[in-house]
Amino acid sequence: MNDILRLLRLFWPYRRWLAAGIALSVVVILSNVVLLALAGWFIASMALAGLGTQAFGYFTPAAAIRGLAILRTVARYLERLVTHDATLRVLSELRVWFYRHLEPLAPARLQNYRGGDLLSRIRGDIDSLDNFYLQVLAPTVSAAITSVALVAGLALFSGRVALIDALGLLAAGIALPLLALRLGRRPGNRLVGTKAALRAATADTCRGLGELRVYAATARQGAQVEELSEALLADQRRLSWIKGLSAGLSGLFGQLTMWLALVVTIPLVTQGRTPSPDLAMIALYVLASFEAIAGLPLAFYLMGETLAAARRIFEIIDAAPELAEPPEGPLPQRFDIVVRDLRMRYAPDGKWVLDGLDFALRQGGSLGIVGVTGAGKSTLFNVLLRFREFQNGQIEIGGVPLRALQGEQIRALCSVVAQRGHLFNTTIRENLLLARPDASERDLVEALRQAGVFDEVESFSEGLDTFVGEVGARLSGGQARRIAIARAFLKDAPILLLDEPTEGLDAASERVVLEALKRLMTGRTTLLISHRAQALLYVDRVMRIEGASGGLIRLQPVPLPLWSPTADATLLTGLRHPASESLFGRGSHRSVMKASRDR
Amino acid sequence: MIGVRAPGRREAAKQDEAWLRGRAATARRPLAIAIGAGAVGGLLLIAQAWCLAQIVDRVTIRGEDLSGLWPWLLALLGLFLLRAVAVGGVEVASSAAAARVKRALRAALFERIAALGPVWMQGQRSGEVANTLVDGVEEIEKYYASYLPQMALTVFIPLAILIAVFPADWVSGLIFAVTAPLIPVFMIIIGKGAESLNQRQWQRLARMSAHFFDVIEGLTTLKLFNASRREADVIARMSDAYRQSTMSVLRVAFLSSLVLEFFATLSIALAAVYIGFRLYYHQMDFLPGFFALLLAPEFYRPLRDMGAQYHARMDAIAAAEGLIGCFTAPLPKAPRALRQLPGGVVRRIEFDNVSFRHGGDGDGVSGISFSLARGECVALMGASGAGKTTVGQLLLRFLTPASGLIRINGEDLRLLDEADWMRRVAWMPQSPTLFYGSVIDNIRLGAPEASFAEVEAAAEAAQAADFIARLPQGYETQLGDAGQGLSGGEIQRIALARLFLKRAEVMVLDEATAALDRATARRVLQSVARATAESAVLFIAHDLDAARMADRILVVEHGRVVESGSHAALVASGGLYAGMAALNREEAV
Repeated sequence: MNDILRLLRLFWPYRRWLAAGIALSVVVILSNVVLLALAGWFIASMALAGLGTQAFGYFTPAAAIRGLAILRTVARYLERLVTHDATLRVLSELRVWFYRHLEPLAPARLQNYRGGDLLSRIRGDIDSLDNFYLQVLAPTVSAAITSVALVAGLALFSGRVALIDALGLLAAGIALPLLALRLGRRPGNRLVGTKAALRAATADTCRGLGELRVYAATARQGAQVEELSEALLADQRRLSWIKGLSAGLSGLFGQLTMWLALVVTIPLVTQGRTPSPDLAMIALYVLASFEAIAGLPLAFYLMGETLAAARRIFEIIDAAPELAEPPEGPLPQRFDIVVRDLRMRYAPDGKWVLDGLDFALRQGGSLGIVGVTGAGKSTLFNVLLRFREFQNGQIEIGGVPLRALQGEQIRALCSVVAQRGHLFNTTIRENLLLARPDASERDLVEALRQAGVFDEVESFSEGLDTFVGEVGARLSGGQARRIAIARAFLKDAPILLLDEPTEGLDAASERVVLEALKRLMTGRTTLLISHRAQALLYVDRVMRIEGASGGLIRLQPVPLPLWSPTADATLLTGLRHPASESLFGRGSHRSVMKASRDR
Repeated sequence: MIGVRAPGRREAAKQDEAWLRGRAATARRPLAIAIGAGAVGGLLLIAQAWCLAQIVDRVTIRGEDLSGLWPWLLALLGLFLLRAVAVGGVEVASSAAAARVKRALRAALFERIAALGPVWMQGQRSGEVANTLVDGVEEIEKYYASYLPQMALTVFIPLAILIAVFPADWVSGLIFAVTAPLIPVFMIIIGKGAESLNQRQWQRLARMSAHFFDVIEGLTTLKLFNASRREADVIARMSDAYRQSTMSVLRVAFLSSLVLEFFATLSIALAAVYIGFRLYYHQMDFLPGFFALLLAPEFYRPLRDMGAQYHARMDAIAAAEGLIGCFTAPLPKAPRALRQLPGGVVRRIEFDNVSFRHGGDGDGVSGISFSLARGECVALMGASGAGKTTVGQLLLRFLTPASGLIRINGEDLRLLDEADWMRRVAWMPQSPTLFYGSVIDNIRLGAPEASFAEVEAAAEAAQAADFIARLPQGYETQLGDAGQGLSGGEIQRIALARLFLKRAEVMVLDEATAALDRATARRVLQSVARATAESAVLFIAHDLDAARMADRILVVEHGRVVESGSHAALVASGGLYAGMAALNREEAV
């Protein structure tokens, strides 16, 4: 119930449009019922007048019939326009509202959901909410209004028939859909599960066709897919029986109600207590009144689905943001990074992911971070970017505590190049402008040139205006990575966070990307996560973050010679740039690598 | 795809629909039952109207009382019940018809996709193809469950009503008959309206939705550029622009149904008024007049519902397009002959001047020659796109050489029985697939009869036993979509266990350690060396660690083998490989 109220509150700004759409649909149904009833009454009256039994002023009803016909048609047209307009307005509102609420939660609060899963869930749920007005709200409200109006109108002629009609409407409009819903719940739920399983099985089949062939498992997989498909069809058959039953009964209820109305009214006509032309009118009126509830079965059916969707959407956006933002403080003036005894875990009773991490990095210096998957390397970046809160220790950028800075302030200081950096499905230009909306054409070209991807972009027929395709599908991995690097050049931030920037690239692309990165790193404080030896050649020092075995993911900074910003210059001897002769020479890094191998 | 179709769209839609109609053959009987039930329902409707008209006539005009009317009332009651059964029957039978089509179609699609094979799939988006098999097939349901039977009834029911009304009141019959030929006219008008709506607006809606979800997917990236908040305005602007453009189309599109509806409603009103005046001047009886009036809305009802039917049809045609794409893709050529492998086991593999091109001018390999003996390991090194994977696929027979020969124990690979060859090879692709099911089922993919101990040993060798033991249900843990919840390295190690368990004579490993950290990768490589001592191994690598374990290394560049030899020899030669090794110098010490 709360969910409905919340949903309605979202729709509140458009209440006039929504109400107008509902009002018009009420007009459509009422005019249709009255048109039919009036036509029946008119014909009967005219017949009786023709037989000379009664006098009849035909002018007004005949005109009313034509008038109602026109009213119904025009109202129907306007109703469709208004309800569609209202739906689209609500749709726009919903999306913006959802986005505005989701935005502060990303990425920390959304990582609890699995990537694709969350997105497809949001997709389906937002679609359900899009249809809430057109298919749930409007039919329900207009059914309620028209039913009451129609029963009240009927009561003017006969209380008993009005009562019968009311009961019939309740039975066909509420009891029957509820029954169908109840019967359909189990096969319906099972069907959703079966469909998901079928989707998963076919997706695996398509992805793994080669493996199925090599492992002679195609037939087995086919049997599994067929079994799931049969299970799906079986539930669909059950649902079709329920649907058939409810379609048959729903028509029958309307007809039975009319039948009862006839049986009740005929004696009254015979007794002369009801004028005889009213019989035709009442019969047609009662029969047509069931049009009022025609939209209810679908509305009931979708109601549960929509509410569940709303609940899930509310659940997502109700999460509290991971971090509290401080008031805007002064920005750091230098860009060295000091981390002292940093401890971080995702849940209050969880395992420590970072457990007493210490390091210092001078302004313009670079530090490589290695360690097995899950050791907490990316977590460290998320902490530094203020995407994640940490529980213990201190982080300072240029002497300013991290917590004294707003997330946006910090992120303005950092450029990130990641293995999974997102390229938006728009032009290369738009993707670049993200980093600096006011960049000139010259800036863009220069950034692409620095990133070593300009020649390739220029060779595309549409150059900078080439669409990158869904998730960068039309660019090679190396090209996408270098466009992300170009973005970092444009952003020109003093701190660089590189998260596996060359993973998944072949040696040639890796070399080109690394050259671009080398240019980018110049003069910038850099942290580089990688386990590619080629990439690690480019940093001053390497630190290993260890994840312990046994399922515990624990961070254990290996006793590397730590250096503070002041001691930096004197300690910077062991590891050098690739140009230097003593590549990874006999320094500490090598012994660390060795130690870990022996472990 | 839509852009390509644009010029001949109408033609293509016609062909797509012809294809859809052709599929209905599998469901002829349930479709006939559905249409039959609908037709009976229509006849019952006419009988009902006659009974009701009788009752009202007898009470209103002839002044009869309830007692004499019971036969009519009971008959009416019976007709109602029968009609309810007919209405339900249409629903059930038409669903059954759709189910038959869907079942046959899914089976055919699966078979087709399996026959098209992994190489064809590489050119597709596998997610889209999978989607076709499940949701694409579901989307054509309405064509059989709704459109086909309803269209048949749209012709039958008005015709039946017309035949019933004419003898009773030919004037009303004439009004109906005059308006009836306009049905096809409006069908076309509505069809066009629905079509333009479908094609243009739904495309726009899809684009707008895609943008919205693209933004959500890239929210972290937007935040990194502090651009996430201004994106809200873009979403608002886009959806508002969409609303305005949609409404301008809808205003016109709804006009056609406005005209239709206006016409239908006004015809009813006209018939009613006209009947009324003839009654007034005593030119006809009440009974036939009221009968005609009762049937008037029913005559136009199918016409009114046609808009919805057209949408069902358009949706089905749009979905059919994706399905037809799978069926029209050319199948790879079937093998010419079946021969057994001479000599029992694979002892020697020879690539003799083998060339292959992907597509017209795509990548490929040319003049590849090398040999690989049982117990030997050959590594292919080179940049991605150099053709390493193609060599593997040629050996696996996913591809057939355009020229040159692959000989197995001296016999042409093309002439060998495919199933027999597949029993002898095992393969670990670059990104292995875990199938929906348990971990153990996945490891046993190629050896369903393997014992648990064998599975464990394979997992052990693949360095997978430890993490599998830590999974919630160990080997029985169910894996979701694409091995969800496992890391790339874990997926790779399960696939490696699968490879080891098959104990094949020929093994092709494509970037088997790409997702592993170095320490694990080394342990895995040692296992590979142990587990494959009896096999011929083709090891595709971009990593020097992996290449060094091979007996021989072939360096591939632009589809050609440019260097070959042992690690030491290649380093000494100072060529391409030596250059790659130099980058790894600290490891080479």
